Amino acid sequence: MIYKMHIVSKKITRKDAVLEITNQRVIFWEAQKSLILSDLHIGKAAHFQKSGIPIPKNVLTTDLERLKQLILHFKAENLIIVGDLFHAAYNKDLDEFKAWLIQFPYIKIRLIKGNHDRLSNAIYQQFNMEVFKTELTINSLKLVHDAVEKPTNSFIISGHIHPGVFIKGRGKQRIKLPCFQVTENQLILPAFSLFTGLNTRQSLQKCKNFAFTNDGIFEV
Amino acid sequence: MSNFKETPGYQIIQNWMEEKGNTPFSFQHQTWERYANNFSGMVVAPTGFGKTFSVFLAVVIDYLNYPENYKKGLKLIWISPLRSLAKDLAKAMTTAVEEIGLDWEIAVRNGDTPTNIRRKQERSMPDILLTTPETLHLLFSQKRNSRWFKNVNCIAVDEWHELLGSKRGVLTELAIARIRNLSTKTRIWGITATIGNLEEAKNVLIPYDVKTTMIRAKEKKKIDIISLLPDQVEELSWAGHLGKTMSSKIIPIIYENTTTLIFTNTRNQSELWYQIIIEEEPDLIGQIAIHHGSIDKKQRNFIEDAISNGMLKAVVCTSSLDLGVDFKPVDCVIQIGSAKGIARFLQRAGRSGHSPFERSKIYAVPTHSLQLIEVAAVKEAVKQNEIENRNPFVLTYDVLVQFLVTLAVGEGFKLEETYQLINKIHAFYYLTKEEFNWCIHFITKGGNTLNAYEEFHKVVVDDDGFYRVKSRRIAMMHRMNIGVIVSEAMLMVKFFSGGYIGMIEEYFVSKLKKGDAFVLGGRVLEMKQIKDMKVLVKRSKKKKAITPSWLGGRLPLTSYLTHFLRLKLSDALTPNNREKELKFLHPLLNNQHINSHIPKHDEFLVEMIETKEGFHLFAYPFEGRLVHEIMASLIAYRISQIAKRTFTIAMNDYGFELLSDQEIPLNEENINPIFSKENLIQDVTASINASEMASRKFRDIAVVAGLVIQTQPGNKKTSKSLQSSSGLIFRVLEDYEPDNLLLKQAYNEVFDYELEKVRLQAAFKRISESKIILKNAQNFTPLSFPLKVDSLRGTMSNEDLSKRIERIQKQALKDLK
Repeated sequence: MIYKMHIVSKKITRKDAVLEITNQRVIFWEAQKSLILSDLHIGKAAHFQKSGIPIPKNVLTTDLERLKQLILHFKAENLIIVGDLFHAAYNKDLDEFKAWLIQFPYIKIRLIKGNHDRLSNAIYQQFNMEVFKTELTINSLKLVHDAVEKPTNSFIISGHIHPGVFIKGRGKQRIKLPCFQVTENQLILPAFSLFTGLNTRQSLQKCKNFAFTNDGIFEV
Repeated sequence: MSNFKETPGYQIIQNWMEEKGNTPFSFQHQTWERYANNFSGMVVAPTGFGKTFSVFLAVVIDYLNYPENYKKGLKLIWISPLRSLAKDLAKAMTTAVEEIGLDWEIAVRNGDTPTNIRRKQERSMPDILLTTPETLHLLFSQKRNSRWFKNVNCIAVDEWHELLGSKRGVLTELAIARIRNLSTKTRIWGITATIGNLEEAKNVLIPYDVKTTMIRAKEKKKIDIISLLPDQVEELSWAGHLGKTMSSKIIPIIYENTTTLIFTNTRNQSELWYQIIIEEEPDLIGQIAIHHGSIDKKQRNFIEDAISNGMLKAVVCTSSLDLGVDFKPVDCVIQIGSAKGIARFLQRAGRSGHSPFERSKIYAVPTHSLQLIEVAAVKEAVKQNEIENRNPFVLTYDVLVQFLVTLAVGEGFKLEETYQLINKIHAFYYLTKEEFNWCIHFITKGGNTLNAYEEFHKVVVDDDGFYRVKSRRIAMMHRMNIGVIVSEAMLMVKFFSGGYIGMIEEYFVSKLKKGDAFVLGGRVLEMKQIKDMKVLVKRSKKKKAITPSWLGGRLPLTSYLTHFLRLKLSDALTPNNREKELKFLHPLLNNQHINSHIPKHDEFLVEMIETKEGFHLFAYPFEGRLVHEIMASLIAYRISQIAKRTFTIAMNDYGFELLSDQEIPLNEENINPIFSKENLIQDVTASINASEMASRKFRDIAVVAGLVIQTQPGNKKTSKSLQSSSGLIFRVLEDYEPDNLLLKQAYNEVFDYELEKVRLQAAFKRISESKIILKNAQNFTPLSFPLKVDSLRGTMSNEDLSKRIERIQKQALKDLK
């Protein structure tokens, strides 16, 4: 299902870095011409299929189409992926990703490994990406997969938990939405893949939740 | 065959019974004779009258008369819904066989059977196997399994009424079909309690072209129903409470009787009532136990033995003790709250006074005021001998998909042969060739026809035309997921020092913090740590503890009962002299009468109330929870056609509530069209599509069809990378494969057009012929209050998501000011 995305963003500034958080599950960091995203779980649908669970493969196609539109929209030159790029062992979905990458020869990809990223280094090299075992620091930003709350001088960006939040209204209304969780010192990205669940447990103290829908982003 | 009584087989059994001082009941005798004449059939008898011995001895007699017809190996397969029944039945059968002088081996096989015994059985099957539908399917998933079923003379299905109304009934139908395919002469016998649709029950069990018969026991259980009333009506709350004040009435009953079973409707209530009773009467500690499905199996077995041995005065339990072995000492039953159905009420009553000529005694304890009307309704229904139907499931594609994979894991299957086999049984009688082909496609290629999944090789066609599962991993995962009972994700609760206590739902655990105290199995526990899907605890001395809630197990009232309820309510203000329940309720009903209205039999009441929470609409069709769920979303849908709205919906057995944050545009002018019977089915379809109901139904379907892997409690998560939720898969399929048959099944399960259409149309016809009364009440009324406190809610909205959020945020700002 390929559709035209409606991209809405909101700027926040942390440690001199101006970050644009969007309703499309990525951050755009203009100064670095970089998209920061997490938890793509490429290969998840095929992994399920291999195990006898028929999941439509269009799941991946849609995710990649969304990423393409974002790259073109922001004129990004870098992808910084904070973990769980690949879901499991090598499968056909990774071939699709490889073929998709050909249209962006100029894009530089950096991956901070997540708990799902367990493929051999040789495979990552096939994708022509730079791989970081646990973290990557760029200026005042520190990028990791799963953040531990520890005092540091940098602003930490992580993913892993697939954050979501409940919005409660009058008349016992409850709406569950994906969100960015942001504090003064850190930020947790929502999962980029649409084939993921949501975790509504609040893990950070004094945290702002930026929830989003197909056509807007707002603080809860 | 008039000379049946002269056959050697009959003579031997007759003598054996005489020696023991027994004479056969006439229905037993009839069963034996019919069986001898090659009939299949169904025995309808109350518990305690030896229904087991009707079918079991029929097979024995036939064997004694014609031993040449019986080959080595499995002769009789005895299917029962409960594991716990099997053990004692096997004991009784073994004793009988030994005394009669047969060298038959009788064995039990189910989830509790140790591996070494299973292996032994597989090398050499016993003569009689007592098992469950699930275990039979597991046997089908083994290599070379047909050799075991080549010479089966009889398949007996015990407690068929329990299996019939669930997908386990479909598993049973499939199992019979396959065994019958291998042993063409096998006779099929069902044993059931009385239900409303006996003839249908028989036809579902035996859809084949064979001689069938129905044998009804004339013997009847005598039942005393006593309602327990508080001293004053004010002592009973309107709703949402346990009826704790009733405990003082319950204690003397426990002392008056030898052993009392106290039935509650949920595991949560059983835990709470256990605490209430030991608080009221500490002397009972040690003589009272608690029994429900989430308590450790060993503990449950221990309690069951203790009941049999007369060591307990009382047991607080749930439907976990509805069925099962006869507890001789039990002479009294207490039902707390509504039993939700006439058959269940009678079944529970029958657990007391078990021997044939004793009376059963049941006390009905209301937990809130309206339940008193229910007690009056149950009494009336029992008097008029109205018992509800158990409706069989049909076109359960999820079960079919599972069965096909089971066959593929076992010996493999061929298309045409299998279609013929499946198409004969009741559940799939209307299965089209296209639908069957879809299922085959689903397990061989994955999703829809346009898009084969390259990586998907669950079931593969071999050159010889057989469909087989090749991957050992897929075979193993499938075997672990055989069955149709889907439970919430559960965690085991274990003491630090070792020793299991029971299980609680993951959902409940997610709200527990370290150090929190909660109650399980009647003990107060402190949560210390969660590790490997286990909750580690230690004993706690805290007075205040939370009681776990288990989401499963909410049952709707059955339709007959709701019918009686409506009648009772309509003449509630003028009760006849014998209906003490209604007389007792008079003050409360008067309150309803003054503040709103009591609907007469030709009236339909709708109440509108505005509170801080928002705008409420309450309606009272008295059609039972399931129908109300459909009606509520239908009415919500129709109102939202007038003006866009978001509603949260609550329903109980009496009526439903629509709650909105904006005013509900309903008035004297438009109320008739809103509740009209015109365009009913179109509107229902549209409203189901707009609600979350199908997504909820999909939960079980996804598990049964193998789309969601259920982790077994206690097992370490072996397949973490295959975790997903049914909600997620539902969404993905709706997006990419809207024609998936499993989705269609989810919608059908929300609203079974064949089955429920008639009932819904009848309900709306009744409403359209009634006078609709719209009342604006200032505050919650006795009728609306129980709905207000019901916490299970659904949503139905036709508003734009962003607009909804915007308004919620504005409201939040306003609330701050």
